[in-house]
Amino acid sequence: MKSFKTILIVVVIGIVAWNSVYFRRLDEVKQSLDAKDFDAAQYASTFWKSTLPGALGKAIDLTELTTLISANEAKAFDDHSHALGIGNLRYFLIKGKGAVESVKDDIVIIVLANSEQRIALATEFIFGNAIRDASGLINVNEFTNTMHFNNVSAEINKIVRETVLPEFKNNVKAGDLVVFTGAIELNREHPDLKDFEVIPIQISIIK
Amino acid sequence: MKPLITYRFASMLLVLSLGLFGSCQPENSPERKKVAVIISTLNNPWFVVLAQTAADKARALGYEARIFDSQNNTSLEADHFDNVIAAGFDAILFNPTDAEGSVVNAMKAKTAGIPVFCMDREINSTEAATSQILSDNYSGCVAIGKYFVTTMNKKGKYVEILGLVGDNNTWNRSKGFHSVVDFYPGLTMIAQQSADFDRNKAMEVMENMLQAHPDINAVFCGNDAMASGALQALVSAGRNDVKVFGFDGAEDVVNSIKENKVVATGMQFPKVMAETAANFAHEYFNGKTEFPKKMPVAVELVTTKNIDNYIGYGKKD
Repeated sequence: MKSFKTILIVVVIGIVAWNSVYFRRLDEVKQSLDAKDFDAAQYASTFWKSTLPGALGKAIDLTELTTLISANEAKAFDDHSHALGIGNLRYFLIKGKGAVESVKDDIVIIVLANSEQRIALATEFIFGNAIRDASGLINVNEFTNTMHFNNVSAEINKIVRETVLPEFKNNVKAGDLVVFTGAIELNREHPDLKDFEVIPIQISIIK
Repeated sequence: MKPLITYRFASMLLVLSLGLFGSCQPENSPERKKVAVIISTLNNPWFVVLAQTAADKARALGYEARIFDSQNNTSLEADHFDNVIAAGFDAILFNPTDAEGSVVNAMKAKTAGIPVFCMDREINSTEAATSQILSDNYSGCVAIGKYFVTTMNKKGKYVEILGLVGDNNTWNRSKGFHSVVDFYPGLTMIAQQSADFDRNKAMEVMENMLQAHPDINAVFCGNDAMASGALQALVSAGRNDVKVFGFDGAEDVVNSIKENKVVATGMQFPKVMAETAANFAHEYFNGKTEFPKKMPVAVELVTTKNIDNYIGYGKKD
């Protein structure tokens, strides 16, 4: 009788334990999170072709922005930057023109026209939300899940890598004159005006 | 196990002492509204700061506030919601345990007419919570990923220690990091394992990873508690050559960056999130009905280059 009780207890514990625990591979969890009915590539494509071009007309000249920030930092940030929420990281749509000083593996150094200012045009590290957020035209509250929202940035950056940069990287050389439109990130509390890194949206070699 | 017990005991003592301090205030006025602060876990100093700041801010705004610890258990969290609703609380400042599993709890509160303001962790619903104030984890980890690539000179073997598998922050951080690092074939991730955002679990995971993969050059951890656990394991093994990257901006990791023991972290701002949530509750009580469904809070990269701008859990004043 005692052994029957013991077996019964073991069986009950076994059934409870079996139904209490399940194992899934991390990859399966990631895939299930990714697969939820949102086409980030399509969203990014529409943004790139239809939404962003309208905002590029408001891009501020980088030399002018530097002057404005030096004169009145708060006003320059309020008037020309966007961010989706709270915090010091702000994004600007900018434009500029200048001469290529040097071409490196991951950046092109440009000396801005009518200025001694050097900026780095990113040609490899095309990551982050600068383009998505600088326009101020995408609302995080449209998205049920922030992962979908983040995937939009990844797809926008992919467009830059695949359509904006290849021709430029193949042809650019020191001494070229270039015009560009792009996005930058600046920390409102500690703006670094000496090391601008521009994520390009449009870029042309004009001579 | 001793460090775990000591750690939990210290956290509980801190919360209890602060709770007692709070209870010394005159909180029995019949008009005084009650705010519940339901937190995923208090077994992590970062969440203690989040909880305590939310409660302190609610009290400063004139409300009664009480903290509930869900111990990373969605069932216990559900019990807290039942109790909070039954006890007639007027608002909930909520740090969820699970992006999917916590939705039903928030919905219960909504059905009962109690606004829910999520802090730091997201729930997968734009309807259940009145507003969600969330760190921009993905962008923060993109910045860490870029720094990781340059620090590693685009080559090396690394491991990743993930947080809670059911939490969106875990994947937003991991995806942000990999959105950069995976572009570099010279960087090979040879192991990826969850340690539930827990320092002691991360220490065990790191010990096991070191035994299985002694040739690693770096570890990326989904939060600073795990980075501290991983660092502890590496120090015990005499491996000061392995680069440690964290996320949170916890005080011990900020100090470790100063001492060149940790390479970088992403500074979240728990006090900003907690105070914003309490302010939103205050505005709700005063009649405001429209809130942003999601309010991202920027995460800043902290390295030895800019460490002087930061202290644990935020910026230097």
